[in-house]
Amino acid sequence: MPKFVLNGEEIEFKPGQTIIEAARDYGITIPHFCWHPSLSVSGNCRVCLVEVEKMPKLVIACSTLAAEGMVVHTESERTIEARNAVMEFLLINHPLDCPICDEAGECKLQDYAYQHGVGESRFIEEKVHKDKRVLLGPYVMFDAERCISCSRCIRFCEEIAKDPELTFVQRGDRVTIVTYPGEQMDNPYSLNTTDICPVGALTNRDFRFKARVWEMSATKSICTGCSRGCNIEIWVRNNEILRLTPRYNPDVNGYWMCDHGRIDTFKFVNADDRVDGPHVRREGKLVKAGWDEAYSAAVSELKSFAKDEIAFLGSPHATCEDNFMLAKFARSVIGSKKIGFMRKEDASFGDDILRKNDVTPNTLGTEIIFDSYLKPTLNFNGILEAINNGKIKALFVMEEDLAANNSEIENILTKLDLLIICAVNFNKTTALADVVFPAAAYAEKNGTMVNFDGIIQRLKPAVATLELDRALDGMAMSRLDKFGTHYDRWAQGKKRDARSSWKIIAALASVMGQKMKYDMAEKVFEEMAASIDVFKGLDYDKIGESGTKIKFEPAAASK
Amino acid sequence: MNYLEIIVITLVKILIIFTIMMLTVSYLVYFERRISAWVQNRLGPNRVGWEGVLQPFADVFKLLLKEDIVPLVANKPLHTLAPILALFVAFSTYAVIPFGPDITVFGYKVSLVVADINMGILYVLALTSLGVYAITFAGWSSGSKYSLFGGVRASAQMISYEVSMGFSVAGVLLFAESLRPVAIVEAQSGWMWNAVLQPIGFITFLVSAFAETNRLPFDLPEAEPELVGGFHTEYSSMKFAGFFLAEYANMIIASALIVTLYLGGWQIPYIELLGLPSWLTAAIQVAGFFFKVGFLLFFFLWVRWTIPRFRYDQLMSLGWKVMFPLSLINLVWVAVLIMIFKL
Amino acid sequence: MPVRRRQKDLNFWEKIYIPEIAKGLALTFKTMFKPKFTMEYPEEKFIPPPSYRGRPVLVQEENGEERCVACGLCSRVCPALAIEVQAGETDREKERYPERFEINMLRCIFCGFCEEVCPEEAIVMSKDYELAFTNREDAIYGKDELLVPVKNLNERINFLRQYK
Ligand code: SF4
Ligand code: SF4
Ligand code: SF4
Ligand code: SF4
Repeated sequence: MPKFVLNGEEIEFKPGQTIIEAARDYGITIPHFCWHPSLSVSGNCRVCLVEVEKMPKLVIACSTLAAEGMVVHTESERTIEARNAVMEFLLINHPLDCPICDEAGECKLQDYAYQHGVGESRFIEEKVHKDKRVLLGPYVMFDAERCISCSRCIRFCEEIAKDPELTFVQRGDRVTIVTYPGEQMDNPYSLNTTDICPVGALTNRDFRFKARVWEMSATKSICTGCSRGCNIEIWVRNNEILRLTPRYNPDVNGYWMCDHGRIDTFKFVNADDRVDGPHVRREGKLVKAGWDEAYSAAVSELKSFAKDEIAFLGSPHATCEDNFMLAKFARSVIGSKKIGFMRKEDASFGDDILRKNDVTPNTLGTEIIFDSYLKPTLNFNGILEAINNGKIKALFVMEEDLAANNSEIENILTKLDLLIICAVNFNKTTALADVVFPAAAYAEKNGTMVNFDGIIQRLKPAVATLELDRALDGMAMSRLDKFGTHYDRWAQGKKRDARSSWKIIAALASVMGQKMKYDMAEKVFEEMAASIDVFKGLDYDKIGESGTKIKFEPAAASK
Repeated sequence: MNYLEIIVITLVKILIIFTIMMLTVSYLVYFERRISAWVQNRLGPNRVGWEGVLQPFADVFKLLLKEDIVPLVANKPLHTLAPILALFVAFSTYAVIPFGPDITVFGYKVSLVVADINMGILYVLALTSLGVYAITFAGWSSGSKYSLFGGVRASAQMISYEVSMGFSVAGVLLFAESLRPVAIVEAQSGWMWNAVLQPIGFITFLVSAFAETNRLPFDLPEAEPELVGGFHTEYSSMKFAGFFLAEYANMIIASALIVTLYLGGWQIPYIELLGLPSWLTAAIQVAGFFFKVGFLLFFFLWVRWTIPRFRYDQLMSLGWKVMFPLSLINLVWVAVLIMIFKL
Repeated sequence: MPVRRRQKDLNFWEKIYIPEIAKGLALTFKTMFKPKFTMEYPEEKFIPPPSYRGRPVLVQEENGEERCVACGLCSRVCPALAIEVQAGETDREKERYPERFEINMLRCIFCGFCEEVCPEEAIVMSKDYELAFTNREDAIYGKDELLVPVKNLNERINFLRQYK
């Protein structure tokens, strides 16, 4: 490989790489605003100026190709001076309203002003005033004063979202960003611009002013909005999810995630209609009950049915561990092979970028587990049919709202004698249930999911429940979490009495006389890996933070 | 006088003295706080009652209501015994201190001392050396290193100073040719106060008295900054109050003893020349005794808020290298005096 | 081992100590009759100088609005984690305002860091030192207790400006 000298050290580069890329691969970050690894180079912020020996002027590292024998300095006197000057220019008209700016704390301009700025302004002139609250689209709010005209947002819309909506207008210090006439910034990926905007010019209306970034903890997990399983970080303060942001994973989602995933997939966790503690139907009404009470109620009801009369429905919203446990319960405790799950396809959802028509996150995982562990005799539709004609009288449903938007299924379910549900929120299906167990939401448990592409990835708990302690169970902690006591209002965030479905099922099995003792999801996964070929040899460490591909060729990779 | 009368009279005297002692002890605490405040340009307790005069009762009441905490590792019987012993010693010493001349009440001749025994001073010395047990027990039985240090220091200190104290007293006894406190007082008629005759003995006794009562500058057994309170670190509630009262009671005894031994007891020089009626003379003499004791008590407090605490080695070297030789010199001096006056 | 010496050798009279004790006693005796400094609190009250750091309060502008923009810096800097700020959006010129602002006076250590860090001069230390509560909840001051009209705080604000 060819080499060049960077700050006195010889480093390798791939032909065609720019200086900034080669340096980045080597571990040196050259300051930059407008350059983004997955966007085209525009070279307009000028902060990445570096000195290349034998070149008369400083060059921008983002568009200068590295060449054999080049000698580059990023910390020489001239570069530092140039960087200071660029920072000074950028700050001439920048409002510096960090106190009211949501970006503060994760703002590149702020960081660089600390690192490379001179610390004070030499300008006494009135700053240029522009619009501070412009709604560019349904989610994105634009503050024109803060914009440093890096054009990342414009390039993103054109190159990634493939939907050119934004452009610069005016020039000089009056330059600003507008949507094309008659257009709105409403592409399904628009909120990614708020992540890549190096300043607080573009902000997420859904999160705006909710919290300071340093008050939250960030947990690495995956999005459950569709079968892509974009890697995300879950940002939590006071045990409440406030926002999701994408996390880089070149094999799954790159740097991005879609607006649906970002906005619509976490609010149910915070919602008031969460099932909080087990509920049992008494005199026609669901009432709260203790765990042991609910377990024994469910078990004594189940025992009154013949094994042919009992069926199970897993869920592609649940983790592999949950589904495996359900399958194991069906096979070894009840002895039933009637197990299925409800697929959800939305033809209008998918696109060529990230979104998939299969809108459940763990379809493939559920399918693999049920097919290879149990070889079901009845599938989802078969089970419904059997319920309809009275062959199946008892149904165990895990984390699925069957009756949502489907009155036909709702009618069929009313024919059941017994309906036991593990549910996250109360919904139409729980309204029909006899026993409702509170299932932990995806952000409240450990587990794995397999995306459409056969990549198995980990979910991690970001929200504490009554049985999951933030400190003791090693969850991500913010400073407030670390030092809060239960006397502090800011540490009194609601903890629900919910458990992972696998735990509930294992406990039911124990009550039925078959000991299933797992103390954590990892143990369930180990057993699953041992009993299902596709998962052989995997464990949580191997899956790691960015997932790993399983040995399985998806038959028909649905779009 | 028959036995019944003697018993009644003695009981009445005991009652009077006990009440006076309790009150003085309480108010001594009060004055200690006020005087310390004045020395430091503060006001001191002035809220409970007029100028805070009810403060001692409030304090005692508060202490009564406190929880009595006994450490888990304490030796319980000794832990409880220690404060009782301390109080007992303090109060019973007072029995032999005369506070006035003989008077006649309702036709009875009454001597103003609870027990006019002929070896009174020996009794005092014996009892005060018992006092060291109270402190050592307290220190040892608490099961705390601070208490233990305090206790050990106390015993070392008290034993050391008892030596020079004893030798100083010996001077007085030689001169009075009696161990009876009343006789000692009577031997100091006119200006023949022992303080005047034996200044060195007076000073060594005074210093030893400070050390014996664990008062500043010799309060090393308590030394708050280093020992957190010393032997009574682990005491609370009324047991703590017991030590507290005992300390102040000991001060009163020490003062009374000094007055008896060195400052002429109840005697006021040449008062008989005024030719007053005998009851008035007696009253003035009793008042004189209390005045002298009062002044000495004030002196105790005054010294406490003036002189800083000694270091332990300084305390010991003062005791053995200065006080002890001085008291010996005093003995020689007394011998010389006796040669002059008595032969 | 270094030998430590006295700074000054004592003379005979100083060595026998008694005259020195007498001098000390005379001094304390004199002091006893000097005027007292004690302030008899509930009747006499201490009026602190502007440099005094009493409880932190929020500055309320003449129009009744708070200056605070809920930036959360005070909350971040507070070493005792006494402050909780929840920002909200308004239509005012400063688009951000504290929807909720709470100081837990049981946590506050009156260090004044919040005042020092505030970019808006919105939180200042008042002269108020009379803080007593009977339960933990009462000790958490919300906006209603914290907002103090700016005219009552001018003395402190001017004091602070001297050092800006
Ligand atoms: S964009 Fe950055 S520097 Fe500008 S106001 Fe916001 S946080 Fe401050
Ligand atoms: S809005 Fe942000 S991303 Fe877009 S040009 Fe301005 S600074 Fe760059
Ligand atoms: S004074 Fe200090 S402790 Fe009190 S609220 Fe302000 S920063 Fe926190
Ligand atoms: S630092 Fe000032 S402006 Fe920011 S939240 Fe605190 S009081 Fe409000």
